[in-house]
Amino acid sequence: MKRREFIQGMFAVSAVAMVTTPDRVLAEDKAKKKGANDMSFEDALKAITGGKEVKESKKIKFTAPEIAENGAVVPIKVEVDHPMEEKNYVKAIHILNTANGNARCADVMLTPANGRGYFSTRIKLSKTQDVVAVVALSDGTFIKASSNVKVTIGGCG
Amino acid sequence: MAEKRKSMIKIKPKKYKVGDIVKVDFIVIHPMDTGMKKDKKTGKIKPAHYIDSITFSFDGKPFTKMTVWESVSTNPYFSVNYKVTGKGKITVDYTDNMGEKNSKSKKVKPKG
Repeated sequence: MKRREFIQGMFAVSAVAMVTTPDRVLAEDKAKKKGANDMSFEDALKAITGGKEVKESKKIKFTAPEIAENGAVVPIKVEVDHPMEEKNYVKAIHILNTANGNARCADVMLTPANGRGYFSTRIKLSKTQDVVAVVALSDGTFIKASSNVKVTIGGCG
Repeated sequence: MAEKRKSMIKIKPKKYKVGDIVKVDFIVIHPMDTGMKKDKKTGKIKPAHYIDSITFSFDGKPFTKMTVWESVSTNPYFSVNYKVTGKGKITVDYTDNMGEKNSKSKKVKPKG
């Protein structure tokens, strides 16, 4: 084999490698996503609000730890400072994460019988991310509050 | 096969009157598998197994409905408020994605 042919061959191989590498990376990314009901944060938010505007609000008191050592158990608490009357009440509290495979954690449908807009649970977080509470009010508006949680050990794998 | 799960309802504070807003805590022993973890003994991936719907009701009238996904921790804990209206029974019905149905109830006894 001549030197020129050899060098040309080298270029060809490297070009093929460059073209194929991104595909392989993409495939690996897809392999990571294997949950049956995976949904991105944007899609989940759209499904809840129907494309309506969601405002940041100080009415919501959202409590989450700043640093969670164990991502498998992250306690969160949502309190909404809103009246709970027959026609003016907190309709629903949605807990969403931004980096897990499935962005939805819990949807809680409340009624005036609850007396107060309050919900507390424990969730799993795969890595450091924002946790968002979207609150639907009975007049059709949506408000939200979010908190960043630093996760030392992920809790999803 | 529906297995009987251990669960618990707590009403806080313990002493309450009609008209008070109390906290209703519900805890259930459930694996909440995400479908991504491997079983350490067999090396196979465990199928997803999680609670997907919970209904809190008072004397048969539902007051809170929840839809839950696998992102909720193992042995989940849920807490909501409830305004006491009188004597009765709080019932929590829950089902998981494998079709297992269970329920737990607790009496409401306001004092004074």
